[in-house]
Amino acid sequence: MGPLYKFGWFDAAYSLQLAGLIGFLFGFVLERAGFGNARKLVAIFYLRDFAVLKVMFTAIVVCMMGLLYFSVFGWIDLSRVYILPTYIWPQIVGGLVLGVGFVMGGYCPTTSVVAAVSGKLDALVFIGGMILGSFIFAELFPFLEGFYEAGAMGPVLLSDVPNIHSGVIALLVSIMAVGAYWLVEKVEQRFGDSEVLPHGSKRVKRAAAAVLVLLGLILAIVNPDRIAAERATPLPEKPPESKAAVQTTAPEKGKPASTGFQIVEDEGC
Amino acid sequence: MNQRYANPYVIGVLLGLVLLFSFYTMGRGLGSSSTFSRVAAAGLDLVAPDHAKKTAYFAEYLADGRSPLMAWLAFLTLGAGLGGLFSAFISRRIQGEVLRGPSIGVSARLWLALAGGVLSGFAARLARGCTSGQALTGASELAFGSWLFMFAIFAGAYATAYFFRKEWL
Repeated sequence: MGPLYKFGWFDAAYSLQLAGLIGFLFGFVLERAGFGNARKLVAIFYLRDFAVLKVMFTAIVVCMMGLLYFSVFGWIDLSRVYILPTYIWPQIVGGLVLGVGFVMGGYCPTTSVVAAVSGKLDALVFIGGMILGSFIFAELFPFLEGFYEAGAMGPVLLSDVPNIHSGVIALLVSIMAVGAYWLVEKVEQRFGDSEVLPHGSKRVKRAAAAVLVLLGLILAIVNPDRIAAERATPLPEKPPESKAAVQTTAPEKGKPASTGFQIVEDEGC
Repeated sequence: MNQRYANPYVIGVLLGLVLLFSFYTMGRGLGSSSTFSRVAAAGLDLVAPDHAKKTAYFAEYLADGRSPLMAWLAFLTLGAGLGGLFSAFISRRIQGEVLRGPSIGVSARLWLALAGGVLSGFAARLARGCTSGQALTGASELAFGSWLFMFAIFAGAYATAYFFRKEWL
């Protein structure tokens, strides 16, 4: 059962190698989409090319479906997945400023890396700016600390706010994604350059949209939250390598790098 | 530059699977902005170690005497660079250039890239993540604040795009 790391399948040292592999795939797919090109990225803000939105929404929907179905099948324990905590005000203000930085600089953090390695000097300068911006934040942190913690709600999910189960949320998200695809393709046809934009088969798109909404509908009916809650007690899954001494260490405890099998929980961005 | 890029929906599915793989193996998603914060901490620690240790926000990175770059997300960002390099190499897109619209000069574009980077670096620290670590990862796990954050990015960019039209169009 996943997450494998949380069940002691491998240790912190190996997790860093895995990070390199996951990062490699991440950078690879971003570059394939053309996200190493600032002009392609910002075209979304001038209504010409919505590749950024299509990639983001599709990735979100695919991963969301995967997580919920994995949970229904008992392949992943979502209670052991790190949920990003909500801090309403810094997240809204941070998002607005990041949006301005995106259209001004032409990149977001990861895409700037992909662009910089392919020789884009503007992306390299953007990275320098990000390092400087992080430094400024750290220097001003004593003054910002109050706002940084403003609107803290803990790890709340969309399903916690109106108190409906995540299967229904998944259905709503999939309908929203299909609606967004339909809308942005209409806008693209009007403002975009049809020579550059990808042409997909209408029939494939309709079939994919139907499958997506159907997957959401199934989740809305089966209620993944209830299934996960029922499974939580009767199935105390044993980690396969439980013989190895598993030590869970919080990073702030300040342990020097030990040579033994070690699991470090240092999530957070 | 070769501008024949892959279909965004196909890429979206692949990216979703990479993200799912990360959740399944590690129990966490992707991210990269904190790497730049860690580079800033490492740089400051090199130049002014006393000051770096007194900087509260960097203290966590510098605790226990290890390099602040010995972190999961730092290795992920390193991998992203290699993956991007490989993809650009096989499509012959490695080329030294400054990407900009036809009506802006190189130096103006670079200054805007620097300013945009400063804003992005600052904003990502404030929001505890960027487009990948906060928006992509958080939205997939249906985290409430991450959805707010994602819509705020689009709002901020669309609201100000008009003022940067000369940079791109």
